[in-house]
Amino acid sequence: MMKMIGIVFSNIYDASMGDLTKRRTVASLPFGGRYRQIDFVLSNMCNSGIHKVGIITKYNYQSLMDHLATSAEWDFNTRNGGLYFIPPFVLQNNGVYRGKLEALYNAVNFLEHSTEEYVVLSDSSTICNVDFSDALESHIASGRDITIIANDEYKTGNKQYIDLVLNMNGEEVSEAAINVIPDKDDMAAMGMFIMEREYLLKIVQKSVSHGLCHLERDFIQRSFIDGDLSINLYKYDGVVLRNTDVVSFYQNNLRLLDENIRKGIFKESAPIYTKVRDEEPSYYYEGSSVKHCLIADGCKIEGTVENSIIFRDVKIEKGAIVRNSVIMQGTVISKGAVIEQAIVDKDVFVSPSRLLVGAASSPIILNKGAKV
Amino acid sequence: MLKRSKECIAMLLAGGQGSRLKVLTESTAKPALPFGGKYRIIDFPLSNCTNSGIDTVGILTQYQPLELNDYIGNGVPWGLNRNFGGSRILPPYAQNKKTEWYKGTANAIYQNIGYIDSYNPEYVLILSGDHIYKMNYAKMLAYHKKKGADCTIAVLDVPIEEAPRFGIMNTAEDDSIYEFEEKPKHPKSTMASMGIYLFNWNILRSYLIEDEENPKSHNDFGHDIIPKMIEDSKKLFAYKFEGYWKDVGTIDSLWQANMDLLDSNHSLNISDTSFKIYARNYALPPSAFYPSSSISNSMISEGCSIKGTVKNSIISTGCTVEEGAVVEDSVIMPGSIIHKNASVFYAITGSNSEICEGAVVGGRPEESKDGEWGIAVVGRNTKVETNKRVLPNEII
Repeated sequence: MMKMIGIVFSNIYDASMGDLTKRRTVASLPFGGRYRQIDFVLSNMCNSGIHKVGIITKYNYQSLMDHLATSAEWDFNTRNGGLYFIPPFVLQNNGVYRGKLEALYNAVNFLEHSTEEYVVLSDSSTICNVDFSDALESHIASGRDITIIANDEYKTGNKQYIDLVLNMNGEEVSEAAINVIPDKDDMAAMGMFIMEREYLLKIVQKSVSHGLCHLERDFIQRSFIDGDLSINLYKYDGVVLRNTDVVSFYQNNLRLLDENIRKGIFKESAPIYTKVRDEEPSYYYEGSSVKHCLIADGCKIEGTVENSIIFRDVKIEKGAIVRNSVIMQGTVISKGAVIEQAIVDKDVFVSPSRLLVGAASSPIILNKGAKV
Repeated sequence: MLKRSKECIAMLLAGGQGSRLKVLTESTAKPALPFGGKYRIIDFPLSNCTNSGIDTVGILTQYQPLELNDYIGNGVPWGLNRNFGGSRILPPYAQNKKTEWYKGTANAIYQNIGYIDSYNPEYVLILSGDHIYKMNYAKMLAYHKKKGADCTIAVLDVPIEEAPRFGIMNTAEDDSIYEFEEKPKHPKSTMASMGIYLFNWNILRSYLIEDEENPKSHNDFGHDIIPKMIEDSKKLFAYKFEGYWKDVGTIDSLWQANMDLLDSNHSLNISDTSFKIYARNYALPPSAFYPSSSISNSMISEGCSIKGTVKNSIISTGCTVEEGAVVEDSVIMPGSIIHKNASVFYAITGSNSEICEGAVVGGRPEESKDGEWGIAVVGRNTKVETNKRVLPNEII
């Protein structure tokens, strides 16, 4: 029997995603051709044997509720568990929460009413295929206050700012730095933390009473410096994609075209679940050309698609060219239109012969439902 | 308290072996056979039920049921997980006085009178798991009520030269049936039975009991029940169905029905979102196309990896087509691997089959001698070794 519950934050990084999160949470942002970002962490939890998960929401969570619905796709429709929405609890004067610690204050009830001994906290924008049960074993064996799941991001050559970077002295954490690019021998936290449920309740109560709101800065870094926190580092060796802003979101989508990265995320032994929509298989017309692409079900492809991620129900008409782009569900690219270096949100209509070209460092974004 | 009841429930005959499909159905029931890239044959009648508002479906299994049972599960993919009703797998079972297999289509229903009675239905719809079609049974039920019929049989107007292959209904002007002829040499009508029967339950119930007592009966709807009802002057009507309907009982018809999907003006209209065909989903990622791929006039489901050439074909969920491999005019069933430089022409490869490097399966009709050409078939879980040749019309 699983001794751990999960808590997922759905709104972290909302502000850095521009118009993509105008009407949705970061958690419900489409990713990888047929998924929403939250599918990855929920599937990881489900595949790790976790059956009870609370989702902390702040605003714009209608699309998230719609996506998760009965939660049956992730096997959370069990008797002794389930998926719990934890909307913001707004007091008269304080408004909605500012950081993860304040957000967790809303989850006090959920935490108090659970009986499992441990809890794993996770962001929803870190894409990976991690086994939380293995991390839990490591946590229990270590006897430490908190286990931080992290990877060696320096090795991948990515120069991305990371919320929490741990300087290492051998196997031990020597320092905790906030919002830096990891250096050699540093470990990059993946926004996933394991601790005892009672311990979490204690720090949440204490932090809120002291006006602290930011989990990594106000609690982990500060307590560690003060010598009040013992850290166990769980090193994750698999593929990690962090979608922290528009450019990383765009690049990480395209990185899925690399077979090795794809195999690190999609595993037969631990599938990534998502909402089933029952489209027919995609149809490729005579004269179509698809090279170096990921294409989901329900598409009709007549034109040319290169180096792109195509979501479900997309139509690419004759003579249209799509390159280096992410095209979300239900979009139509009409005859002769050319789309390059773009993120095209859901249900966009691109009229015939339109030319829209962005740059890899700054892709064009076409908003949901737009007609161009 | 009033007994809770259903107006109409469906009984789906899914015990058929489909022996004419040879190696493809050697270890699984025909209704569980993959179709159209991501479906199984049984998805069509089950989705039809859901889309027609019928939420109670008894599924009668007998031949190799394991895969089918697993596939149906709790009925969730079709919305058939109901508190009262839903889908039920109904295998033959040991009984007090005698225990037997389902002897015929009518006997299978007879043995489940108890199940049907538990829903106290007014009407029972008899379906089979052998056909590809989209049909709103609610319209057929409305017709049945309007006609005040005892039994309504769905019929398809077929070309006269094909009529001798079917059970033919000879009807009067008001569409009432006065004669039924099984595979007539000289058909009087072109109204072919689609194997879809709608009965008033109280009438069918008494006919089933009477039929069971007749030792000479074959206990079959077409052979015994329907002719007896006509003989007794019961009110039988033919309900004309217009649209795509295909019996996929043979290798050729299974191949053709798959190929029909490639016609974008296809009357089955599989992409019609108001009448979706539901299927169990296996959580696979989108399909990956590599720079070396070349695709034309084909349907490709999710979870595939395509490096080779695919033309006029159906590639089902989770297949791999490696570099230099060529697939033309073929149906590749789920989980198959076509290795480097292998070729597949005019063939059906069963689930999880493997065509090794350089092997050639099937051939184009124009390159074969007359009379020797046909669809090549590779069975389920079967491996065609490196550089081996599977001839057109060959079944392995």
